[in-house]
Amino acid sequence: MLEPRSRPASRRLAGAALILLVLASLALVAVPVWLIRPFAPQTPDGLAAAFWLRRLAPWLTLGAVAAALACAAGLWRRARWWSRALIVLAFLPLAGAAWQSRQNVFEKMFAPLPGARTAAAAEAGWVAAEEPVLAVALNGDATAYPVRQVAYHHIVQDVVGGVPVAVTY
Amino acid sequence: MWRAEIDGRVLRFHLTGINNQNFLMQDEQTGSWWQQVTGEALFGPLKGRKLDLVFHDEISFGLWKQEHPGGRVLRPDDGAPWREFSHDWEAETAKLPVVTPPRPGDPFGPRELIAGVVVQGTAKAYSVAALRRQSPVLDTVEGTPLLLVAGEDGRSIRVFERTVDGRTLTLFAQPGGPPLRLLDAETGSTWSFAGEAVGGPLAGRRMAKVYVLLDDWFDWRTYHPETRVWR
Repeated sequence: MLEPRSRPASRRLAGAALILLVLASLALVAVPVWLIRPFAPQTPDGLAAAFWLRRLAPWLTLGAVAAALACAAGLWRRARWWSRALIVLAFLPLAGAAWQSRQNVFEKMFAPLPGARTAAAAEAGWVAAEEPVLAVALNGDATAYPVRQVAYHHIVQDVVGGVPVAVTY
Repeated sequence: MWRAEIDGRVLRFHLTGINNQNFLMQDEQTGSWWQQVTGEALFGPLKGRKLDLVFHDEISFGLWKQEHPGGRVLRPDDGAPWREFSHDWEAETAKLPVVTPPRPGDPFGPRELIAGVVVQGTAKAYSVAALRRQSPVLDTVEGTPLLLVAGEDGRSIRVFERTVDGRTLTLFAQPGGPPLRLLDAETGSTWSFAGEAVGGPLAGRRMAKVYVLLDDWFDWRTYHPETRVWR
């Protein structure tokens, strides 16, 4: 039995769409990383683009997975074994992008401090006398945040004298 | 250090990126992006809003402990590699490239440490190295008389408004010590590094503290392009 050699335009379209969806998903995740890479200058427009891409990416990448499933469903039945393999493989970057768009890569590099705990000044043996601290006194409370620790975490949230503070360095 | 609150709503922040080597943080509540050094939201629902600065010092632990023996200190998170990260952090950072291009005629090198104050909307940057050598330094910014003083550790910097009861004081270092003592020419009172008179006619009085930021010159200049300088 001869198989028809020509493939209808809709199959080509679905295949092209699948490829575009993969590229778009990867771009959604990669472009903000590129824009906000350290040791490169940032521009206001670049920053704005990164903000919006990061804000929309979790939903758009999921949408891309859904759209890709529709394309795959359309292509599956008459696809050869290697086409089917490629279709399945396409879902790896698609799923990867959907997952990555929901990760905070910066907090992977610099682990956040989930809850600030303090010790009495006399017990703070891990801080040398000459080490700089960020010191605040509010409503009777006096707390010192060693710069070394804050510089690593970047942000430490605490409550001092009843006031919620974000200690940053 | 910022008050983590806008319109009475507590915000929780997460590290979210970097903008010309000053980091950005995102609040969980609205997803807005905030610039760390200015406390201003750049993007998102709270764009344009500014967090309130919480007055704080950046001084050495030893000096702080003397002033606040009953104070509290942040416990380290020993699950995080902050010790490895911070071992030579200042020295290493000073060698890193700067992405903001230096301008011709810049009074300081890009990574030179400056003490920055803003008085009545006017910014001024003081060379920390020169301050430490010449402390105490008297200056006036926008008609406000300032005292810039290094602690007895030769490192910690504080800034005060040197007026008490409308009278401007001229202060000098008193030889001897530790502890560091300053003397004012107008009344002969002695003053501590905390800006409090510990002897003389003005004993018990305090000079108003002025917030000072120790920053790299390139970063200060980015956010205060019209800043004055003192060397």
